[in-house]
Amino acid sequence: MRKRNPLHKWPYIFVAPFVITYLLFYLYPMLFSFGISLTDWTAVDMDTRNFVGIKNYIRVFTDDPMFWKSVLNTIKIMLIAMPLTIIAGLLMAVLMFNIIKCRQFIQTVNFLPYITMPVAIGLIFANIFNMNIGPVNQILEKLGILKEGLNWLGDSRYAFWVVILMCMWKNFGYFMVIYLSGLSTISGEYYDAAKVDGANAVQRFFKITLPLLRPITTFVIVQGAIGGFQLFDEAKNLVSGAGSNIVGGPGRSLLTIVWYFYDTSFQNNSRYGYGAAIAFSMMLIVGLISLINVSLLNRREG
Amino acid sequence: MKRKIKTIPKVIIIFLVSMISFLPFYYTIVMATHSTDQVLMGLEFIPGSYLLENLKTVLNSEYFVAFGNSIFVSVVSTLLSMLVSAAAGYGMAAYQFKGKKILYNFVLLTMMVPSTLGMIGYMQEMRMFHLGGSLWPLIFIWIPNGFGVFWMTQYLKNSLQAELIECARLDGCGEIRIFFSIVMPCIKPAIITLCLLIFLWSWNSYLLPLVMINRADNYTIPLFIQTLGDEHKADIAAQITGLLIAIIPLIAAFAVFSKDFIRGLTEGAVKG
Repeated sequence: MRKRNPLHKWPYIFVAPFVITYLLFYLYPMLFSFGISLTDWTAVDMDTRNFVGIKNYIRVFTDDPMFWKSVLNTIKIMLIAMPLTIIAGLLMAVLMFNIIKCRQFIQTVNFLPYITMPVAIGLIFANIFNMNIGPVNQILEKLGILKEGLNWLGDSRYAFWVVILMCMWKNFGYFMVIYLSGLSTISGEYYDAAKVDGANAVQRFFKITLPLLRPITTFVIVQGAIGGFQLFDEAKNLVSGAGSNIVGGPGRSLLTIVWYFYDTSFQNNSRYGYGAAIAFSMMLIVGLISLINVSLLNRREG
Repeated sequence: MKRKIKTIPKVIIIFLVSMISFLPFYYTIVMATHSTDQVLMGLEFIPGSYLLENLKTVLNSEYFVAFGNSIFVSVVSTLLSMLVSAAAGYGMAAYQFKGKKILYNFVLLTMMVPSTLGMIGYMQEMRMFHLGGSLWPLIFIWIPNGFGVFWMTQYLKNSLQAELIECARLDGCGEIRIFFSIVMPCIKPAIITLCLLIFLWSWNSYLLPLVMINRADNYTIPLFIQTLGDEHKADIAAQITGLLIAIIPLIAAFAVFSKDFIRGLTEGAVKG
């Protein structure tokens, strides 16, 4: 007689809701989108959907400077903002770790930006950095650092840095809280032993804290990268908060991939076919970058 | 005594950083207490006395319709997403079965794939279901959540007590009952952490509602806020006031559950 495990069906039952809803709400739409990306479908003429093959992709990769600009902007913002945010979050967590008084309060204050709506963040920063009424210019002028207020949001060079500041401001507290919880898992014995051996605070940080926090750093980088490639809300709301309708802000320096995707697919004649091709091209680039990352990390470990 | 002196620079740095973190938020409060005209004249550092007027403007608008929509979307998304993630996490952590490895890699892959990739197809699919423009598409998108499943699996792998489940099984307890009455209570911190994050992400979600919702009575808060004011001029002060109200439920939730949130993060992200 064949012995049947009476439990064999249960794991499938437990994972089924996830798998089924994923197929329904993610995988099917993705395949559908991919199909659309091979057509010239637009919302202007919903009934004509001509198959054009990979024509959209060829255009995205060879004849669309806006696409490449948005890719470059996204990567630039991410490469500057993410390391700075991570370092700031880590250092603050280390500084805070031994302080018990007011800890809850400090955590809450620094975590507030992370839970604030992106729409609000855009509006707040647009006003704080406003050329005429914003406190940033007022303070810098009073301190004598600037003779004349800068047009933060009207000049592509400055607006770019304002967005980086927004991203840092928003995520810093979240990273700090994650690092704080990571620090609490490191046993104090390591530090005691290191102190006996005469290691100073800096050595202890680089030889004990940093290596032991590595899983967290990986977690934070992965989360940051996933979020970074999706950057849209902050950039869009900063520009609209400043009362401007320009797609991508001044000089299009804030045009991120998702913003370009949004504008092509849902504004601007709603070119579904071309928009879908942009989305898949973005994924292709993200996938390539991840592959390079993974192989670099593996090489270093091996 | 020496210790104390050493901590002073630390305290100063922490204080300064926290100030910078809080400053934009402070200006939000300042803006909410001035009229839009005052704000446009120049932001002051001291709060004004216009808060009640701004509150009146917000409360006399359709704000609470949007607030209700947001609450509905976020609560339902959070509950469904948590249940589906916990179940899948339990299935992956507690059982051995064929295809487990593939499924685990599949979950990791889903974490990397953003919802924007299929957004155009999703929109058409929802139109086919006659749900285009309704609140349901904003909920469905959260139900299968790769991050949630990964999170739950990691957490359960670390904290699940196999003996406890075996005992219950021998006592004749069904698998579903084991899941709800033994496993779920054991992973409370993980559940609370995941719920807080999903609630936060869906509450603040902007792009999907922007694409999906076209009727004003289905606006969520982020969409509704931008309609405050008339066609000539946005009422910035009222908008900020409305956004300030919208953050209150989140602050309350994170304050009430902050201990569990930190514990959940510690045991989930860190050990994983």
